[in-house]
Amino acid sequence: MKGEGKMAEAKSKSIDAASIKMIEKAARDGVNTAFDRAETMKPCPIGVVGSCCKHCGMGPCRVPLPKGKEETPEEKLKRRGICGATAETIAARNFIRMVAGGASAHSDHGRGVAELFLAAAKGEASGYEIKDEQKLLQLALDLGVEIGERSNNEIAVDIGEICLAEFGKQAGELLFLRRAPLKRQEVWQREGVAPRGIDREIVEIMHRTHIGVDQDYRSLLRQGVRAAIGDGWGGSMIATELQDILFGTPTPVLGKVNLGVLEKDQVNIIIHGHEPLLSEMIVAAAQEPEMVELAKSKGASGINLSGMCCTANEILMRHGVAIAGNFLQQELAITTGAVEAMVVDIQCIMQSIVTVAECYHTKIITTAPKGRIPGARHIEFDEHNAMASARAIVKTAIDNFPNRGSNIEIPEEQTYQVAGFSHETINYLLGGVYRASYRPLNDNIINGRIRGLAGVVGCNNARVQHNYGHVEMVKELIKNDVVVVTTGCNAIACAMAGLMVPEAAAQYAGEGLASVCEAVGIPPVLHMGSCVDNSRILMAAAAMVKDGGLGDDISDLPVAGAAPEWMSEKAISIGQYFVGSGVFTVFGVNWPTLGSPEVTEFLFKEFENMYGGMWAFEPDPIKGAHMMIEHIDKKRKALGIDKARERVLFDMAMRREL
Amino acid sequence: MEYKVEKKESVAYGKEVEILGDTYEDGVPEGEELGRWRQKLGSRADKLKYLETGERYWFSKDWYGSEKRKTPA
Repeated sequence: MKGEGKMAEAKSKSIDAASIKMIEKAARDGVNTAFDRAETMKPCPIGVVGSCCKHCGMGPCRVPLPKGKEETPEEKLKRRGICGATAETIAARNFIRMVAGGASAHSDHGRGVAELFLAAAKGEASGYEIKDEQKLLQLALDLGVEIGERSNNEIAVDIGEICLAEFGKQAGELLFLRRAPLKRQEVWQREGVAPRGIDREIVEIMHRTHIGVDQDYRSLLRQGVRAAIGDGWGGSMIATELQDILFGTPTPVLGKVNLGVLEKDQVNIIIHGHEPLLSEMIVAAAQEPEMVELAKSKGASGINLSGMCCTANEILMRHGVAIAGNFLQQELAITTGAVEAMVVDIQCIMQSIVTVAECYHTKIITTAPKGRIPGARHIEFDEHNAMASARAIVKTAIDNFPNRGSNIEIPEEQTYQVAGFSHETINYLLGGVYRASYRPLNDNIINGRIRGLAGVVGCNNARVQHNYGHVEMVKELIKNDVVVVTTGCNAIACAMAGLMVPEAAAQYAGEGLASVCEAVGIPPVLHMGSCVDNSRILMAAAAMVKDGGLGDDISDLPVAGAAPEWMSEKAISIGQYFVGSGVFTVFGVNWPTLGSPEVTEFLFKEFENMYGGMWAFEPDPIKGAHMMIEHIDKKRKALGIDKARERVLFDMAMRREL
Repeated sequence: MEYKVEKKESVAYGKEVEILGDTYEDGVPEGEELGRWRQKLGSRADKLKYLETGERYWFSKDWYGSEKRKTPA
């Protein structure tokens, strides 16, 4: 693709200086990137609002809203597919198929972790072991597994089998739903959205959205909530919990982020994707003295490992491995000319990295049987012999070092960040070993130093300026005393902007939030991990409710969610389980049901009466932040904590009155 | 968890008494240990006790949060 690249107006493409430099270099080198393609290929205006149905061979049927005028009832009657499906049915079908795609991605990740976990517990996966006994015991208590004097592996076998069974369960309810506040469980039962099994609800979406099955948008959207809850409180939660047992529950760790973490004189290996199963082994293999010696024999001074996207978040949270960038930086990292190998597993991997790599010396190595790319070298991850797979990958990268060209440019930009804020660590940091608690957080929300809590998560989207939405929204929230918890590409964007160090509180946060951050010693933006780790946010919200003083349900809390630069189906599933768990959630960029005002109204307004949470769409991140703040203030008012109360010292007479 | 006990002269009673010593660890954690806290819980009994207290929202029998309050809302 050399020569096809076009000098894009780089500064309008990203707010990040390192990315801008690499976009410019890509243009000079004739490399075509997602930034160029987004400019030359505009999104389909009918598909983007969910008004195109291609679920059968009679279509695709396009049912767009009339432009620039109010639709008459006669026109609305005609706005149907060949089968008669209305614009509402089509929009709702498209929407919940996105939920199904996202929920299946997270949950299949969870299934892979559960299978490896079980194999490790049975001693069939060499190199893996139970690293976090405390989390193992926690799950044993949760799932009713006998502890007694049994060995960790015996307990783990039971846990692994129970978790694996959750995917194919046909009746009853998912076991982790019991972690939610009791009121929330009642809502799910009342609305008929408590998932029976993780896979079952996804399959049912595919069935209902087949031609001629469920043609009531309300009914379709209810099933979307059910499958999404099966993701957040099921597949994703299983992935997070079992990964914690195998690799350790994250605790605060210092790391670096941005393309400047690449080293000019070292073998650079970037691990990209979502699963930590193989990358944990690559981290170990890259530190082996024989590998370091081999690298030196090829003229390098060592091996430099860094991450990309959510695999990066996983290995950062547990090992402090540096992050090279988020989703839109994957091509740019290769453009430095200094990457010997990009190792990929699953999800959010652009097929174009193979084409970009052809312009340099980088080897793209696929490792998952589910995620193959033509032109990439495939070294399959064998869970029964993972270290051998990891060594083969590291050796391939080392052998590639002498093939580097002279066209190398590594931007100097890199920033520090403190990550590792699992639910367990937040609980510990707020209270210590003897009094671990969410009480200080709740108290500071009640006394108004902290206005509320926001979960800002999600992807990058080449349709908007890289990282602008993430960083501006989060800055606006913390300026208004809203503490932010984050995962995924938002977390990486915030880290690059310097928001994830304790010093950021004094610089960017409101006075109240800054005082709490200073007292606890935490940043105003807390990195909770990868996109499956959004389940950690659910646990934190549940703990806030259970601690008391902020209502009886997640929907009572002064909290809100957002994905200002969303693009993947996983983001829609995450948003849907946040909403289904009672959280007001704002998405940016575009909204996939705008082709049906009824469906949009249902998601944005009527959902609140059913689930306590609802969706909203706002492409401007500052306005989006203020919608969240407005919702937080509404919840504060409902709780009666919107105004500072006069503190009265009660004397004995007043106490007797009580 | 082992507790340090110090012996000191009691001002009130004029005799030697045992008091609980420091419960924090000496020095500043470095390197690998920096920021890590879960290894402070040594035995399985410690870990289970921590779950009952630290994660009391789910595992304590005598916790009175929003869902186990003595007087229902």
